[in-house]
Amino acid sequence: MVKTWDVVVVGAGHAGIESAMAAARMGATVCVVTLHKETIGQMPCNPAAGGIGKGHLVAELDALGGIQGWAVDRAGIQFRRLNSSRGPAVWGPRAQCDKERYSIMMRRLLARTQGITVIEGEANRILFERGRATGVGLAGGTRVCGRSVILTTGTFLGGVLHTGDDRREGGRFGERPSVGLGENLREMGLELRRFKTGTPPRLDRNSLDYTKLEIQEGDHSPQPFSWRTQAVVNRAVCWVGRTPERVREIIEENLDRSPLFGGRIDGVGPRYCPSIEDKVVRFPHHKEHTVFLEPETLHGPSMYVNGLSTSLPADVQEKVVRAVPGFEKASFIRFGYAVEYDVVAPKQVAHDLQVSSVPGLYLAGQIMGTSGYEEAAALGFVAGVNAVASLWETEGLRLGREQAYIGVLVDDLVNREHREPYRMFTSRAEHRLLMGVDSARERLMSEGVRLGLVPMGVFHVEQARWEKRRRVIEELEAGAVVPDHLTQDRLHKSLGFELRTPTTWAGILRRQDVDQEHAAAMAPGLGEMSAEDTAIIIGQLRYSGYIARHARERSRVERLRHIQIPADFSYRSIIGLSREVLEEMERLRPNTLAEAERLGGMTPAAMSLIAGRLSTMGRD
Amino acid sequence: MVKAFSSGLSSVLSGGADTIVARATAAGASALAVIRVSGPETCRLAGLLSPDINMASPWRAGVVRLHDESGVFLEEAIIIPYRAPRSYTGEDMLELMVHGSRWIVDAVVGTIISAGARQAAPGEFTRRAVANGKMDLVQAEAVNEVIQAETEWQARMAREQLHGVLSQEFRALKDALVALLAEVEGSLDFEEQGVVVDQGAHEAARKGCVARIDTLLVTVGAGVRVREGARVVIVGKPNAGKSTLFNTLLARERAIVAPTPGTTRDVLEAELEIEGLPVILVDTAGLREAEDPTEAEGVRRARREEERADLIVALWDVEDYNTLCFHEFKNTGRRLDIVSKADLAEQQIEGVLAISCLTGQGVDQLLEEIHLRVAAPVAAMEGSVAVNLRQAEALLRARKCLETLISVPQEVAALEIRSAMLALHEILGSLDDNEVLDAVFSSFCVGK
Ligand SMILES: Cc1cc2nc3c(=O)[nH]c(=O)nc-3n(C[C@H](O)[C@H](O)[C@H](O)COP(=O)(O)OP(=O)(O)OC[C@H]3O[C@@H](n4cnc5c(N)ncnc54)[C@H](O)[C@@H]3O)c2cc1C
Ligand SMILES: Nc1nc2c(ncn2[C@@H]2O[C@H](COP(=O)(O)OP(=O)(O)OP(=O)(O)O)[C@@H](O)[C@H]2O)c(=O)[nH]1
Ligand SMILES: [Mg+2]
Repeated sequence: MVKTWDVVVVGAGHAGIESAMAAARMGATVCVVTLHKETIGQMPCNPAAGGIGKGHLVAELDALGGIQGWAVDRAGIQFRRLNSSRGPAVWGPRAQCDKERYSIMMRRLLARTQGITVIEGEANRILFERGRATGVGLAGGTRVCGRSVILTTGTFLGGVLHTGDDRREGGRFGERPSVGLGENLREMGLELRRFKTGTPPRLDRNSLDYTKLEIQEGDHSPQPFSWRTQAVVNRAVCWVGRTPERVREIIEENLDRSPLFGGRIDGVGPRYCPSIEDKVVRFPHHKEHTVFLEPETLHGPSMYVNGLSTSLPADVQEKVVRAVPGFEKASFIRFGYAVEYDVVAPKQVAHDLQVSSVPGLYLAGQIMGTSGYEEAAALGFVAGVNAVASLWETEGLRLGREQAYIGVLVDDLVNREHREPYRMFTSRAEHRLLMGVDSARERLMSEGVRLGLVPMGVFHVEQARWEKRRRVIEELEAGAVVPDHLTQDRLHKSLGFELRTPTTWAGILRRQDVDQEHAAAMAPGLGEMSAEDTAIIIGQLRYSGYIARHARERSRVERLRHIQIPADFSYRSIIGLSREVLEEMERLRPNTLAEAERLGGMTPAAMSLIAGRLSTMGRD
Repeated sequence: MVKAFSSGLSSVLSGGADTIVARATAAGASALAVIRVSGPETCRLAGLLSPDINMASPWRAGVVRLHDESGVFLEEAIIIPYRAPRSYTGEDMLELMVHGSRWIVDAVVGTIISAGARQAAPGEFTRRAVANGKMDLVQAEAVNEVIQAETEWQARMAREQLHGVLSQEFRALKDALVALLAEVEGSLDFEEQGVVVDQGAHEAARKGCVARIDTLLVTVGAGVRVREGARVVIVGKPNAGKSTLFNTLLARERAIVAPTPGTTRDVLEAELEIEGLPVILVDTAGLREAEDPTEAEGVRRARREEERADLIVALWDVEDYNTLCFHEFKNTGRRLDIVSKADLAEQQIEGVLAISCLTGQGVDQLLEEIHLRVAAPVAAMEGSVAVNLRQAEALLRARKCLETLISVPQEVAALEIRSAMLALHEILGSLDDNEVLDAVFSSFCVGK
């Protein structure tokens, strides 16, 4: 008898690991098929995780019971919170990681997690049973049988690597691509698209002159990502340098040798990760560009040159790098390269990440058009949970756009057209103020508990913490501050402003011109809170008016959503509705606006047009 | 759970949309009627109607003989084929001009329907034009206004709007908002890359947006005037000759005229066109302390009309001219004092316009004065087009957001600008989720 698993996961990158871990921890048996065991959990690009938008994803994933945050905390060698001078909604925690340690930890984790089996091999076709994808066939003929399949093959589908004129097939440096699987997906009628991304050169740490670079240290009190971590420490520093004008000249002279500009690359690259040749061409008026030098491991020699992503020929890369002050004598550990690969156009996937036309087949990670470790991990988790939930006929994981960045991520992928690799930005979230990193656990941990991926005890501890914050806020809102002489004097001395009318401490803390630290020291209740919680409380106070307005707008929308749409409602009478929306509405005939809102392709503008028509219907 | 989605553009390309047909001219017998067909099946349907229709040489009129599905001759028609995207709807189209007999029109439309087309819903051709990006919502609104226009100004305004003059203003404003937002979003998402908001320039850009909105909002009044007409109210003491003037301007005996003061009790309205602008002329009861309750009510109503008026024409009996001082006559944008019954004057009337309905003296001059005042705000639009009330409501919302944004943290400011942008999108009936990110990437060199 052949062994049958509940879930077959293809790929052991950031997506595949989360899929496998979530599924196994929910009690399913999982077979992970991957090309090489030693590249499990590899970070093929920069040695860092998190950032603005991406850090939100890691925090949310952690609150739900994912494992990326835990691994980053342990492999992390420098922790920084970006946007720390702003409100908590846009804080972006980021960590430099020791890549090797990260990868080793992930390998060990998969090996020792009950229910997970890891097999080395190349999947090249999907196996079906009664119309449902249930397993994969491997090169060499082995069949891996299961009950559902999650594909997380990253940049490997039809992968081609470019460095100057050098063009070779590969999934990433030193690894062969996966060709058969892409063909198989095409035969199944799926639409594939060609994307591209690139990575900068790696330099030898010992060949650089640090006196010409600026040091960049981690935060004074670094904060961990995960509830599983007590504390983290900084062990390494990064360096900042600048490219001189000469770099532009070098690149311009050699532009015809760039595969990007020489027409050898057809794939669409992300504009937010432009190569240095892209930057020079698109922003010719910029005299210099910043580069960040990041250690790839704690002790090894390899330094990642963030900002110099390139696919220029090796000799040009040498010239460019050595023109940068501090890098004059740089020796290369590896040259930069670009990779072109196929992705499955994500509109073919539903919100549970199952391919609409192929029951049992799930996608996650870069294969569905994203880029980045955090996006991949978040999608992997969602796919893993939903694959198991569907087998067991329990409720899966579907997060709303107002609930989580993960909800925004899935919804954007599934509903919208994408012309380039998708990466998370906070500007993609229309409910940004409600979805800070600080509130991730409050928003999502109960879901993690429901799925059985977060222990109840942990939830209770967290709950007590946010309850306490809530009580302090109530206190600050309630107690009056009367402008008697004594108070005026105190406020003037320490905060530098005059109080004329009675207010509350909440009112004082909300003022933009008030120094947070000084005010917090005087306000009741805040003294016993940690600096972290104090910042969160002040942030919540400052947002509260807007959050309330937002909530009002939402409740208006909520009321609107319960409006019934008559069965014979004429969508055609609405001028301005896109064809896409119109066809969808006529085909599915939703009963309420709420149902209409959830349909594919629905936009806020279309909602307002339909709502407008419904509200004038009574009148004519 | 809904899992399937229409794949948008590709469904159009693969012919997913159906083909529609409808009579474009008004129903009822007429010399000619125009029938329109639009959609991916147009070429096939044309072939069925007549082998002589050549869709391969579009935008050229031709005369063809039409047959029904069983080959029975229907009508000789003039046809114009159009090929996508160069047509009204942006799809393949066919326009057929036939005799306006109800039977012929029904027979031709019926033949096209039985060959696979569908009767178009009202406004569907325009809806498709919007969906295919041939026009935006603001232009689509103008289509109906052009059709309904009765005065020269209405037609002119609607035409300009249809040509996208107004849309351009909205789009320019929207683009300005996108740029404003891109700067804030850039600094929020790319702090590490050193993107910062230049406070001075940002504030100037914000003020620029508010000013643009205000310029557009000024045209609302003008728009209402052009669309609905300006209210010109005649007031004055009893027997001043108001009703006589009312009738004279209308060139018909609309109101009762009598030598007894207090003749007119109710408010009378009539429409009038002065040099292409619609005017609603209003006659009122004579203003005095009335004892009779009916007359008193009439006076109250007259007062109310005075408040609502775009222009008050106050009439003074020539007798009063002698007792009043020169400076008591007003001549402002909203009020014009004139003296009536000039034919009875014993001396030269100076410093104020004098008219006589008996001799016609000064009446043309009065019409000119009225036009000058009524048309002033319309002229102030400088050839652009007025904002309608739907658009004005959204503009006001956008303005409010731009006002709040001065005093808030940037992540909140972004929310406000976004709301303002959404209001603009509502006006234009468009939504492009990527435009802010597009703007960020084109204005800042960000990324590793
Ligand atoms: C050159 C390069 C540059 C990049 N640049 C950026 C960047 O600038 N910004 C950014 O955010 N991200 C970048 N990334 C992307 C980032 O590395 C990925 O988004 C992330 O690793 C995706 O995770 P994943 O789990 O989807 O796939 P991966 O981490 O790529 O994992 C894929 C896994 O699938 C396995 N596999 C593939 N095919 C098969 C098969 N047929 N059978 C069995 N196993 C298979 C592989 O062995 C591997 O374990 C870059 C990646 C590369 C290679
Ligand atoms: N000679 C002369 N008589 C006029 C002229 N205009 C009006 N009259 C007369 O003035 C009298 C009053 O005219 P109306 O038009 O009824 O006056 P009114 O202001 O409407 O009066 P009420 O409705 O009672 O307030 C009538 O007998 C008119 O014939 C004019 O220009 N010249
Ligand atoms: Mg009268």
